[in-house]
Amino acid sequence: MSALAVAFKLIGYALAGLLVIGNLVSLLSISMGGFLTRDPNRVLNHLPRWSKSFLINELLAVGGIIMLLPFYWMMVTAFKDSRTAAASPPIWTPIRYEYEVVPPGGGNPIKIVELEVAKQKGQLIKVVPVDKYEFKQTDSGGYVSTHQIADPAAIFMVDPDKVVEKKVINLNLDNFRRAWYKPEDSTRGQVNFLTYFWVSIVSSAIATGGTLITAALAAFAFARLEFYGKNFLFYLVLGTMMVPGQVLLIPNFLILSKLHWLDTYAALTVPWLTSVFTIFLMRQFFMTIPTDLWDAARVDGISRFRYLWQVVVPLSKPVFITAGIFDFLNNWNSLLWPLIVTSTPGRRTLMVGLQNLNEEAAAEFHMLMAASCFAILPVVIIFFFMQRFFIEGIARTGLK
Amino acid sequence: MTSRGKRQLGESLEGYAYLLPAGIILIVFWYLPVIISFAMSFGNVTALMPLDEMKFVGARQYQEVLGTAQFQQSLWNTINYAIYSVPLTLVVALAAAMLLNQPIKGRNFWRTIYFLPYITTWVAISIVFTYLFHREYGIGNWLLNIVRVDLLGMREARLEWLFEPRGIWEIILYQPILGEKRGLVPPMWGGMDNIISGPSLSAFCIILTSVWRDAGYYMVIFLAGLQNIDKSLYEAASIDGATGWKRFRHITIPMLSPVTFFLSIISVINALKVFVPQFMMTPTGGPDNTTTPVTMYLYQAGFTGEWKLSYACAVAYVLTVIILALTIVQNKIFAKRVEYGH
Repeated sequence: MSALAVAFKLIGYALAGLLVIGNLVSLLSISMGGFLTRDPNRVLNHLPRWSKSFLINELLAVGGIIMLLPFYWMMVTAFKDSRTAAASPPIWTPIRYEYEVVPPGGGNPIKIVELEVAKQKGQLIKVVPVDKYEFKQTDSGGYVSTHQIADPAAIFMVDPDKVVEKKVINLNLDNFRRAWYKPEDSTRGQVNFLTYFWVSIVSSAIATGGTLITAALAAFAFARLEFYGKNFLFYLVLGTMMVPGQVLLIPNFLILSKLHWLDTYAALTVPWLTSVFTIFLMRQFFMTIPTDLWDAARVDGISRFRYLWQVVVPLSKPVFITAGIFDFLNNWNSLLWPLIVTSTPGRRTLMVGLQNLNEEAAAEFHMLMAASCFAILPVVIIFFFMQRFFIEGIARTGLK
Repeated sequence: MTSRGKRQLGESLEGYAYLLPAGIILIVFWYLPVIISFAMSFGNVTALMPLDEMKFVGARQYQEVLGTAQFQQSLWNTINYAIYSVPLTLVVALAAAMLLNQPIKGRNFWRTIYFLPYITTWVAISIVFTYLFHREYGIGNWLLNIVRVDLLGMREARLEWLFEPRGIWEIILYQPILGEKRGLVPPMWGGMDNIISGPSLSAFCIILTSVWRDAGYYMVIFLAGLQNIDKSLYEAASIDGATGWKRFRHITIPMLSPVTFFLSIISVINALKVFVPQFMMTPTGGPDNTTTPVTMYLYQAGFTGEWKLSYACAVAYVLTVIILALTIVQNKIFAKRVEYGH
């Protein structure tokens, strides 16, 4: 057993011991208290502070494990091979198989990759040394196929019974690399996840930037200007929140095809250059800015437009960040719209790419988990840095 | 014109100018489509013919939509999804928020952990959960058999999870997961089998996934609501001798009702519009079509096969009407019972 495994075991035992002791003492104090006072309700309300906080934290930890388990499982599986990913009972550590065989010329055993499965007993199989397990490259630099070995001379035949297999803890990024170039396997042209990322980032950024500008203007008009039909227009705008996006899907598709915008960045961004929810959020915030500020600005002879950009916007930074995060995530996560308005691989977003991969490699879970990491991990990392804005922004939206 | 009138006119024009950028987008991509969609839903457009050759078929389209068994099934699936996922999510979220509202250290830590699933994308989440619910090497069957074999000493058995068309109540009551014998409920449900047997296990897996993902979001809002409740109310109640459940029932629930109201409206609307989890986890519509929601039916009708665009528009309008009606009903029922502030 490796040192890592021993360490894991020791941590596990320590945690289990802590849980057992804490629960026993808590339960003991509850039952003793109940026995002495004959009033369980009273006991629950007057539990010792540490015991209460222990029980609460324990419940929270159970919930936390449920919340984190899928993430853990995704990341662990991304480091496995197809055999350990399909193991039953499940393997909880990033383990993969390594195969070793003495080469035909004799000498020390070398690590190999099996390229085929023996169909009958005694049949020799094709293998290739691990360090020669590289794929043929095309002119554009992408990988053509995971099964075309760059140096065919390195392939040799061995008897599968002679192959020794070992389980090892694996921390290399092979699956990620293969998943990254996996879309290349299809006939849809030279595309990999770099393209998907690029399209997703560009289109989400344009849509978010545009939304913040158009929404700030509209929200300012609704919050601070008097004009004919203001209330009517405001309700008209809010009314769109009741309309499910599916109603718009087909006519928008037809409008975009009339404009010859299908398969362009315009199709991915222009319809999303504003958001009613963001307008609403900003208006609520702008209303809280005292009007004295505008009176003072008017005395200085500042126009409304300059007042908006130089006074209101800087004061509203938190709401801009919150709205920006939401708009970005909405665009980043959307699947149906990019699926319908794009068809060439070069205009597919990350989500559509992932969905395609899921259709093509439905059984290769180690690859799918690696690809899922592409979609999840960047957002999670950003979230940890900006979580204050995420969570406080949401708490604010619920408490108008 | 007086100078005041002039100023008002100027302000009005400025107001319209500020609305213009957002307005153009909304008109072209929201209001216009709503009208086009309405007109198209009475026609016979498919993607293979130009729009101006459309013939009006009148309300027949809607008759056809409502009469199609597949549509009825998808509507029932959507409703089932809402009925089960909304209360489950809200209850889990409220419980977590109550726990976090206790005076403990590390509240922000747990809040972050619980919120984490919500920011991740449905597409990737669906792939991960498809794996967790896999019939052969998923965690679901492994856990099931830990209970069956190791704890109860029964023989090993597997559930089909995402491929299981039977309703969850049918499985639990009629053919218990945990028991070998057949359950108490007879096989004839008296024509009510759809309602009694509940969503298929396949649909329920998706419901569980959505609870896992969304509970943290609702929890954060509940928690903010709980922290907004005036502490003096609880102090006054404890002087009166009210503890535990009574405080929860008579202070927490009423004071939280505006938040609950807001969340239930949002979550019902979102549940009725659900698309991605079903599309990703059961791309073919699930066993016996028991997971296909209306939106996925719309996608299948409008963007695959014969591309029946008009038909899909009619489906979309039926869904819109249902959402509007439900929102109005919810408003009417709950608005009276919500207690705003103090």
